[in-house]
Amino acid sequence: MTGAAYALGVGAALWRRALLEIARVRGGLLPTIIAPIIFLLGTAGQFDRLSDLSDFPTSSYLAWILPLSCLQGAGFAGGAVGANLARDIEQGWFDRLLTSPAPRPLLLLGPVLAAMTRALLPTTVILTAGLVLGVSLTGDLYGLLALYVAAVGFAVVAALWGMTLALWARSQQVGPLIQNGVFLAVFLSTAYTPEVLLQGWLATFAPYNPTTYVLELARQATVAGIEPSWANTWPGLLALAGMGLLWGLVALRLLRRFSR
Amino acid sequence: MSSAALERDPAVQARVVTALAGRGLRIQMRRAQFLIPAFLLPLVLLAVIASGTSAAQNLRGFPDTGAYIGFVVAGTLIQGALLGGITAGISTAADIEGGFFDRLLAAPVHRVSLVLGRVGGTAVLGALQACVFLAVAFAFGARYEGGVVGVAEAVLLASLAAAAAAGLAAAIALRTGSLQLLQNLFPFVFVLLFTAPAFFPRALLQPELQAVADVNPLTFVVEGIRAALHDDPALGDPLTGLLAAAGLAIGATALAVWAMRARMRST
Amino acid sequence: MSASRQDAIVVEGLARAYGGLRAVDGVDLTVAEGEIYGFLGPNGAGKSTTVRILTTLLRPTAGRALVAGHDVEREAAAVRRVIGVALQEAALDPLMTGRELLQLQGALHGLRRGAARERGEALLDRVALQDAADRRLGTYSGGMRRRLDLAMALVHEPRVLFLDEPTTGLDPSSRATLWDEVRRLNDDGTTVFLTTQYLEEAEQLADRVGIIDQGRIVAEGTPDELKARVGDPVLHVDLIDPADAERAAGALAAHGAIRRRGDCGVLVQSALGARAIAPIVRTLDEAGVEVDAVELETPTLDDVFLAVTGHAATAEDAPA
Repeated sequence: MTGAAYALGVGAALWRRALLEIARVRGGLLPTIIAPIIFLLGTAGQFDRLSDLSDFPTSSYLAWILPLSCLQGAGFAGGAVGANLARDIEQGWFDRLLTSPAPRPLLLLGPVLAAMTRALLPTTVILTAGLVLGVSLTGDLYGLLALYVAAVGFAVVAALWGMTLALWARSQQVGPLIQNGVFLAVFLSTAYTPEVLLQGWLATFAPYNPTTYVLELARQATVAGIEPSWANTWPGLLALAGMGLLWGLVALRLLRRFSR
Repeated sequence: MSSAALERDPAVQARVVTALAGRGLRIQMRRAQFLIPAFLLPLVLLAVIASGTSAAQNLRGFPDTGAYIGFVVAGTLIQGALLGGITAGISTAADIEGGFFDRLLAAPVHRVSLVLGRVGGTAVLGALQACVFLAVAFAFGARYEGGVVGVAEAVLLASLAAAAAAGLAAAIALRTGSLQLLQNLFPFVFVLLFTAPAFFPRALLQPELQAVADVNPLTFVVEGIRAALHDDPALGDPLTGLLAAAGLAIGATALAVWAMRARMRST
Repeated sequence: MSASRQDAIVVEGLARAYGGLRAVDGVDLTVAEGEIYGFLGPNGAGKSTTVRILTTLLRPTAGRALVAGHDVEREAAAVRRVIGVALQEAALDPLMTGRELLQLQGALHGLRRGAARERGEALLDRVALQDAADRRLGTYSGGMRRRLDLAMALVHEPRVLFLDEPTTGLDPSSRATLWDEVRRLNDDGTTVFLTTQYLEEAEQLADRVGIIDQGRIVAEGTPDELKARVGDPVLHVDLIDPADAERAAGALAAHGAIRRRGDCGVLVQSALGARAIAPIVRTLDEAGVEVDAVELETPTLDDVFLAVTGHAATAEDAPA
């Protein structure tokens, strides 16, 4: 068996295993869907009139907040993968993987693939809910693709962040910390209003939060004032790559030092 | 004194309620898993909303409350109360799953005292949370024209709202005994919160949501808090808020007592 | 350090400290290819830490270890290819079925799908789990879990098998089933490194036994050698009439060291063991002493443990 075929086999096997969680735990995915939908409807209802402000890039606040909810759902789905790793470490399952000859990066690849897959469900359900409530896809196919890339990419980042914490703490108690981190990354950004309308400390902070650019990437799908363009795309891709690389490398380093 | 007599002695039962309330509060303050949702989460959301949506003040029809954070902090008080209530329900479910509850039942304690202890403890927690949130908001620029009386009214309303949430959550915990279910109820706190004008004036809510807010009792509580803090009748009516909060607290406590009786019958 | 071709495991001066605590404190041992080595000691003696080092899960703080000729630190990947591991806490995903777990394990070891399936079926037969193969692990009994765990450790036909307390918490019949399987594996040529806190288990399975206490090996040898350290077997002679006891003791003095027990009991310690029974009975018969029963008591590893450590293996029933 060649190295590539072996890597693929291990990755696929661990991916399947991680997905069983969705298939076999009744309602296992509900929290990652329900919370963002409640947030979507509640926020859109509360702050609906913000879109009346001049400089607001769309007349529909729901269209503005929809991509955020998608990222939130995808991020929680990714973070859950990290929390599951913490459980696997605590319960001893991870030892089984560690005593196998599989190259160490592959042990993280399976969960990352699972995070990507898991992210598709909340993203699609939330997007569909928005479309049913009258949001239109102003960005056409390009925008839609950008939204999915942003959501899936953010899930990968959240998964790597979560696995980093899991490998560091080796305890399930780290679960809430993982999800709170995702929560903060999403909300300490241009979550509620565009940068031009931000006031106070967030106006200073949001431009330094990479998630702001991932949001921008995703908003090409439904926000009329953010047109699908490379200029609106590359900062988000760069932010995803940067965050993914950072947490991926830290996670790998922690994994390599795991037996010390 | 026989155990039946103990159960009827109001002085004894008052001590029981106080002791149980104290225990509930101590657990609340010692565990990060309860402290984070009760204190940290509302403060983070307050910080994000106060900064992230403050452009709303430029909207026509947005009331003037000085600093924007002074307007939204009322929503934070309600959010804290609801989350505090849920954690009280989680504690109850954990007591049931962990067996501590059976020990309480085996003691000569009136069943109503068990419920009142939990609700009372959470009411105190709600008042504490409100004081913290109002102080933090003050530090970041909020000013309360209602003075000490206004702040006291606001704290009382928040405390009653916490009692109401605790009663409701305890009722669910007593009826189901499921820790998992209670934990999954967290998102629904936001349903109650977002269907009231927690962070935005009722007149400026999305029309469909406004219709829901008109009948959500929490609407009157949050508006009452706002009116009391800023001594501005245009923002709401503290008395209506008090009636709504007290009604909710009494109703939810009654529901918890009923759930307790039902639990006793079924076990 | 050099491993001869016959040595499956060579450990030299192995130590592992956690802060100030030395969980393993200078362990030396050698396990020959095809041997069953029993690693015996109470909870907290350092058994699991040693196994975790030998299976690459933990790095030693001092000393070296070779498994199948590969250094566990520098050639961890090579070690992992040749070892099978069933750890104490058999962590098995409760959502997966036995068959799925075996196939996953096959994939981890680079088996192609078809090969993994075939191997999985053979192993399910071997550990008699074919009927439960499609049930989720959540429904398995403790014994079934251990058997599946063992099957998973065998997916890639390992040269060296590590079993960390494989029968702790199992009922006697499940324990016996697992013992049979370990013997069969060993007959097929697999080297087995077995940790246990059950002295009987080491006695039943192991070719050689190492006793570890407080991080150090305090005795090593075949079960018989170790038992010989405690002394000769003891014959319990029960008499019918207590009045005969004094006379019996005198008559039996020629057969070995004599002790009295109770009114009717005489104990004779003799290197001959079972072969001393007939002469003893004859002697008593000649002396006109009526015998109720004669029982042979050979020393157990319990006695050995007590003899070499100065304390009993009392942790046996303590929670892990």
